Amino acid sequence: MAIRVRCVAVLPGLWHNSLWARGQLACAQKGGTSTKPMCAKSHNRFLVCLVLVAALLATLLAGCASRPTGQLRYGLTLAPSGIDPHVNASSELGIPLTSVYDTLIYLDPETGEFVPGLAERWEISGDGLAYTFYLKEGVKFHDGTAFDAEAVRFNLDRITSEALASQKARFMLGPYDRTEVVDDGTVRILLKQPYAPLMDSLSQVYLGMASPAAVQKWGADYQLHQVGTGPFVMAEYLPGDHLLLRPNPDYDWGPSVYRQRRARLAEIEFRFFTDAATRSPALESGEADVMGEIPPQDARRLESSTDLKVQVVPIPGVSLMFFLNMTRPPLDDLRVRQALLYGTDRKAIISTVFQDLSPLAYGPLAANTLGYDPAVQGYYPYDPEKAADLLAEAGWADSDGDGTLDKGGQRLVLDAVLMGWGSMPEASQLMASQWQALGVQVESRVVSYSEALQIAGEGMYHLIPFNLSGSDPDILRKFFHSTASFNWSRTNDAEMDGWLDEASRLTDRAQRVTLYGRVQHRVMEQALILPIRDYVNLNGVSSRVQDLRYDGQGWFPWLIDVGLAPAGK
Amino acid sequence: MAARYFFRRALGAIFVLWLAATLAFVALKLTPGDPAQALLAASGATPAEIAERRAHLGLDDPLLLQYGRYLAELVRLDLGESWLHGRPVGRMIVEQLPSTLALALAATAVAVLLGLLLGLPAALRRGTWLDTLATSCAVIGLSTPTYWSGLLAILVFSLYLRWFPSAGQGSPAHLVLPAAVLGFAMSGAIARVVRAQVAEVLSANYVIAAHAKGLTPRRVLFVHILRNAMGPALAVTALQFGFMLSGAVVTESVFARRGLGKLVVQAIIWRDLPVVRGVMLVAAIAFVLTSLVSDLARGWLDPRLREEQQ
Repeated sequence: MAIRVRCVAVLPGLWHNSLWARGQLACAQKGGTSTKPMCAKSHNRFLVCLVLVAALLATLLAGCASRPTGQLRYGLTLAPSGIDPHVNASSELGIPLTSVYDTLIYLDPETGEFVPGLAERWEISGDGLAYTFYLKEGVKFHDGTAFDAEAVRFNLDRITSEALASQKARFMLGPYDRTEVVDDGTVRILLKQPYAPLMDSLSQVYLGMASPAAVQKWGADYQLHQVGTGPFVMAEYLPGDHLLLRPNPDYDWGPSVYRQRRARLAEIEFRFFTDAATRSPALESGEADVMGEIPPQDARRLESSTDLKVQVVPIPGVSLMFFLNMTRPPLDDLRVRQALLYGTDRKAIISTVFQDLSPLAYGPLAANTLGYDPAVQGYYPYDPEKAADLLAEAGWADSDGDGTLDKGGQRLVLDAVLMGWGSMPEASQLMASQWQALGVQVESRVVSYSEALQIAGEGMYHLIPFNLSGSDPDILRKFFHSTASFNWSRTNDAEMDGWLDEASRLTDRAQRVTLYGRVQHRVMEQALILPIRDYVNLNGVSSRVQDLRYDGQGWFPWLIDVGLAPAGK
Repeated sequence: MAARYFFRRALGAIFVLWLAATLAFVALKLTPGDPAQALLAASGATPAEIAERRAHLGLDDPLLLQYGRYLAELVRLDLGESWLHGRPVGRMIVEQLPSTLALALAATAVAVLLGLLLGLPAALRRGTWLDTLATSCAVIGLSTPTYWSGLLAILVFSLYLRWFPSAGQGSPAHLVLPAAVLGFAMSGAIARVVRAQVAEVLSANYVIAAHAKGLTPRRVLFVHILRNAMGPALAVTALQFGFMLSGAVVTESVFARRGLGKLVVQAIIWRDLPVVRGVMLVAAIAFVLTSLVSDLARGWLDPRLREEQQ
């Protein structure tokens, strides 16, 4: 506090003196004979002044070393579709808001363990139905109101209320029942069934703690005036234009995953760059210091620049993979599915389409996801001869010599449904050209996300690629459970359903990992998917930016730690 | 007399509005994809929860009922809440409108200036190299997609020369490149109309008479030629201005500007019907208003048209 007061006192003085010094400089430069005596006389004063300025500057630098300085300009890639984390689902919203809200707990990406956030400790009941959190004391929202057990209940009630029509947060709570306030500093979350991913959910910004007073005050416009307890305050937001964060001067309850106790930056400005082609130019022209989702080709170019670097952040979750619709002939034949896997040179796709910046995917889970089983790396090495053998074994041959395999008058043509993002069309194109050598044709169509969902629901496709991020392996249940909304392989495997259900209920991590291991092997043995790459977020970063690190989701930066070196080095 | 004219115009405007609203509704219903599923599928909602949301949004009701409700809300000017953002559509539009308006006005200014600069010399020196040059420029303007010319402008003026920022908004400097790119694209059509009209008027008897009377060429140009030739150019400009008010989506994306265009494209992708309806309403009103203003202005410029208006 004392430091800050001194800085404020010094600043006007410095300002005044520097103006004055500039006046003297102008005088010295003019140098006309008539003004000479006056300038000479003031020359001493100028020197004194210079010394004074230097002294003041030194004091300022010494005294203000811990004071937040610099403005970071951070480019977001989508105009977020609404940015209330309790309501909306975009992963972009978490980039600024992870620093506005605190969560009850945090996931330490280095250990994979949960560490205290707003809750300093917690207990999980033996039946996995009651989670009791003991809250930190003295925590205040940006509007000055106190954070307590009642606030936690308010937030969870808000998220689960029908009126809010939550698009994501509600479903992250799984079989949530209700929240009980035990006392001011203790809160208990009750579930209808055990739900292992709850801890992971509670560590994410979607379940961040908002000020009840602010939520009630702003109503439908709350998302423009969000108030949390985090290291940064949402100072200004104009949708589609910019969002400003400024440091929260009272913040001293940060989790152990943060290296700094206070924000280093004085301001962070977020802007929206929807067109992929404009992202790297904005970095190169210095209009943004950080920009996510740089296209791989641009990333290679940026790497050669001295002012910029590319920070590759692996994203946990479900890798980019093609789902093979096992109910639609000819993919109902396991040998045909396996042939497609053996017949794909995935390394070539990684180097051509993804510029070798993405890790090769071997199974459904990205390698940095909890429960990933490295043994999947043994499945389906590139082996075009084996692929050809398998296809022949399944009865496919090029009987009419047109270059495409056929069987019973039916040509081997596969229908691929592609969405236009994430390099899916490019990857698919290369894959199709590799399969051509095997005599397999691909007909692809590019559709919107909503349309793809509809086509997938009707089952009228052979292949659809998709990927989804998430740090808990329960994400597999969204894709391989027979009732899942993304069961795009259209698998119906009671045993696998059982593993997935059981793993979602167990609180013992080791047991869960074993079950998810089984699921991964089953998926690969059955060749339900053709994995391509683990998702990475390619962040273009100015070399002035210091200590930029991302959370366990890979998307959300811990902005409290970030500093900015002065311009011009 | 004027009252009857306005009544007729208002009636026309309402018809245009209804037609636009209906087309938007039908188009969104015909495109495959279910909004509730698109919103929730990736969040881990169960099929039952998705069905619940669909019912909540009224998407299970018979189409005619949905259409009726949609029109009824429109008549009450109740724009509703965005399904995607969960915020009042009216407020979302108000937030984006200033940026769209600024770009539309600036781009129109550029377009009119360029259109005149290209169209007039071409008409006055028909068949010369000047005509060829100006006409080629107009054709390039007409046929260059803004996503290409926009990126080129960023490359040259932001990255290489560093004259203007490549993205965002806030200062007049931010407006220069997008307005120039969009204005250039629009100027082609204006230049061609100006050239055609001026060329036609040049050979009119009253222009020959004016010259014969010994009026200065400048006076002939401004009073006799331009005034008579401007009507159709004004109509084209108004049409394009109205079009831009519904959002110049490509230009907005390339220069990372906010605006109605980006809002409506996102709404279409997510089948967010209330937002599509809201922006469409604004666009229709903008068209009706600009064409009214341009007709009145043409009447003022050209007394012959005034007769028709009464």
